Amino acid sequence: MATPAPTAATFRPGLIARAIAVFSGTVGYIIKLVLLALANALVAWAIYVLIDHQRWPALAIVVAATALIDWIYLVPHSWALPLKFLIPGTIFLVGFQVIPILFTITIAFSNYSTGHILTKDQAISTIKVNSLEPPPNGRQFDMAPARDSSGKLVLILHDEGSGKVYVGTEKGLTRLPKSAVTLDANGVPTSAKGYTLIHGAELFQLDQQLEAYRVPTIGDAALEPQGTQIAVELKPTLRYVPKRDVFVRISDGKVFRDNGLGSFVSGEGQSAEELEPGWKTYTGFRNFRRIINDPLVRGPFFSIFAWTFVFAAACVFFSFSAGLFLAIALDKRGMRFQRTYRSILVIPYAIPAFLSLLVWAGLFNDDFGVVNRVFHLNVPWLFGGQVFSWLPFISWPRITVVLVSVWLTTPYFFLVSLGALQSIPDELTEAAKVDGGGAFQIFRRVTLPLLLVAVAPLMIASFAFNFNNFNNVYLLTGGGPYTGTSSLAGNTDILISYTYKLAIASGKGSDYGLASAVAIIIFFIVAGISGFSFWRTKSLESLS
Amino acid sequence: MLNHKRMWALLGAAMAVAAVLASTAVASHKAGPTIVIWTDANRAPAITKVANTWASTNGATIQVVQKNFGDIETQLGTVAASDAPDIVLAAHDWTGQLAANGLVVPLYPSNAVKSQFPSYTLNAFSYGTAVKKLYGIPVQVENIGLLVNTKLTKVPTSFAQVEATALAFKKKNHLAYGLCVQQGSGGDAYHMYPFFSGLGGYVFGTNSAGNLDPSNIGVANKNFLKNASLIDKWNKEGLINSKVGYSECDTDFTKSKTPYWITGPWADSDIEKAGITFKVVQLPRIVYPSVPFLGVNGVMVTKFAATHGVDAAAKDLVLNYFSTPSAQTQLAAAGGRAPANLKAKASDPILAQFGAAGKGGVPMPNIPQMASVWTDLGAAWVRSTKGSGAMPAARSFRGAAKSIADKIG
Repeated sequence: MATPAPTAATFRPGLIARAIAVFSGTVGYIIKLVLLALANALVAWAIYVLIDHQRWPALAIVVAATALIDWIYLVPHSWALPLKFLIPGTIFLVGFQVIPILFTITIAFSNYSTGHILTKDQAISTIKVNSLEPPPNGRQFDMAPARDSSGKLVLILHDEGSGKVYVGTEKGLTRLPKSAVTLDANGVPTSAKGYTLIHGAELFQLDQQLEAYRVPTIGDAALEPQGTQIAVELKPTLRYVPKRDVFVRISDGKVFRDNGLGSFVSGEGQSAEELEPGWKTYTGFRNFRRIINDPLVRGPFFSIFAWTFVFAAACVFFSFSAGLFLAIALDKRGMRFQRTYRSILVIPYAIPAFLSLLVWAGLFNDDFGVVNRVFHLNVPWLFGGQVFSWLPFISWPRITVVLVSVWLTTPYFFLVSLGALQSIPDELTEAAKVDGGGAFQIFRRVTLPLLLVAVAPLMIASFAFNFNNFNNVYLLTGGGPYTGTSSLAGNTDILISYTYKLAIASGKGSDYGLASAVAIIIFFIVAGISGFSFWRTKSLESLS
Repeated sequence: MLNHKRMWALLGAAMAVAAVLASTAVASHKAGPTIVIWTDANRAPAITKVANTWASTNGATIQVVQKNFGDIETQLGTVAASDAPDIVLAAHDWTGQLAANGLVVPLYPSNAVKSQFPSYTLNAFSYGTAVKKLYGIPVQVENIGLLVNTKLTKVPTSFAQVEATALAFKKKNHLAYGLCVQQGSGGDAYHMYPFFSGLGGYVFGTNSAGNLDPSNIGVANKNFLKNASLIDKWNKEGLINSKVGYSECDTDFTKSKTPYWITGPWADSDIEKAGITFKVVQLPRIVYPSVPFLGVNGVMVTKFAATHGVDAAAKDLVLNYFSTPSAQTQLAAAGGRAPANLKAKASDPILAQFGAAGKGGVPMPNIPQMASVWTDLGAAWVRSTKGSGAMPAARSFRGAAKSIADKIG
């Protein structure tokens, strides 16, 4: 912060200036080259990986971006100078902000959820495999892949039921005399007269061939190898008709059509039958319409929204007040152990919130927690109901959640306020004193407004952070307690934790599409509130 | 300063070195069939050892990747095909979710293999809306039981005896509960299941084909509601208390303050360290047999195995090798659980007692709709066993049933 003013006659540049001077010569140039070469080496490796995985668009982007970066840093044109500073930031912005946001938006318009994660082609082939069923009296065989005299792949088979042995080809089953085949203890053929059994590594080279190998038996049933030692007689129960893009159930002719939402479905309403798995597809505004129309989402939305707003606002207000109070108290000049006090106050900020939240959950436990035991209290911190009968909005768990959040955020506002206080020139407060202002009046009229100019944007950011403070709520109370009979929305659930429960832990597994749609709506709410606040704080700036 | 030509040469050299390194990496990656297995850290050494025994006789390579156990389920849906595993270690209750996503393939073990497993373990890994398919080979089983400190009291034979003894210790040692069973603010339907089943509750009924039916929710069925007033009685006398967590039970049981603890084999080491002599039994019958949930861990073959060209190898390893008694003994010992294979032996007598305590137990439902149940069922217990101000159990569980039905839709 403080720039040492060169007062002496002999000019001595500062440490940073000297460092820059050292690095701006050949040393700096070599460092730059080494860094660029390392980056290029990394890219060269990435190119191999991308080629290996056949990711062509990604490959083109990587190559183009690398060429651009090399060119900008190596070509000594003056107009390229600003780009040298902009490019690294832009790359991180695109990588860590723009791409995740675009990804979230695309998911919000899709049906990405449990049962809808494959592509349609994958889903069709999986449905085909899952539709295979052993026919009545279906047989199961111990199997050994082998080559016949002409070197063609055949299967030596031992029926587990009847004990008969066969050779299976793509034409069908042929009985072999029992004496021609030897079996091991598990019934797996170990040798067969006239055939060479395939073993070890060679066997695994045949993986794709084995997987596709079919020995037709009766009707459309066929023997299919399962692994390298078992073959099972299976029969399809569904037939896919590519021309009409439908599945037909063979037993009763029922038709399963593509319902446009990523599933093959037959019938409607309660009696609808759906084939699993479905596939991922774009479903337009369906997720957003569900948010509006679904009573599960709409019902508790406004009460949760109100609580979320109060929670975030209370966290910011109390932690700012506490932080400012501590900052003013410790701003006194000539105080002993000032640094020690300040370091101690910053500790909550330095401990990972994950840990401290779990510790607080234990401390506040109604029956076993330290808080109640030490103070001989009987406060239902985590499980309780309303505090005042006339104000059901305020409950003990809600107070607990705010308290812990304030404990976590106060050090932040303490640090910020301390910095801002020191930047307020003493002349101003002294002038106010000369004008006859009292201590409180000076604080209220001079210090606070000037402080707010610096701190208000940070308060808005803190509000936005607390609005989505999932950890705090989820680790302390899990959103509970559930006061009503419904366990959907708990007393301390904020929008983001409620979304999590709705989208990740309800219905039929996880619904990432719905979750993304809600996330986008929450983004607009937070952006709206923050935008409005920033607009309002502009009036503060006119002070300075 | 360097001139431009030398500079470009330097860059070129660096890239060439990287290229050589990369190509060797890619080349080594392509040699021979490699089977990638995802497992948790606990069982990774045993899985590696067992799988390598198989691989060495078959000329294959095994690559074991350690994951957080829970991450295996979630990451299998999002992983890129090139990094995806061919075999995963899985909990049986993921079966529905993974199969509905089309991520795992049906398995057909030989009858000789199937006969080595209790039928409930194979059922636990079977899923299908119309026809059930087997998606995993069971490896180890676990369940909770009633741990009894035999120095403090004798093994109870009736629930009334449990209740009386528990309440006596509660009074004597000024405890906040009689019978230690963990819940916490989020609830714990798993640990409360023996009480739930003992009062006549069930989660999902079965349809005519014998499959779990998500529209038949038994959280507030008639038989259960008839007995629900017992929960209110337990709450009033303080037999169970929803504020109790694992750590309170661990502390009080290892300090001999409470004679009973409902928990699983994961608590073994703490108790043995504290030198407590204990026995594990099934919680005595309340109104119906108080059976616990059963959990089965097993191995599954993913759809990626076929993409990687190791489908036959992976199926072979799972069907014919992980299923064998010797492999199962090794795997189970590593996880500190009882092996699923009937011919494999659990060396630990405590594990054998846990096995007996799970008799008649119900495998946790493996259909994806179960995701809607855990929170609600847990919350219903929390609401009605939180001491003063608790909600009457009948109302609480009726609410949970409605909430679950709403979520499943």
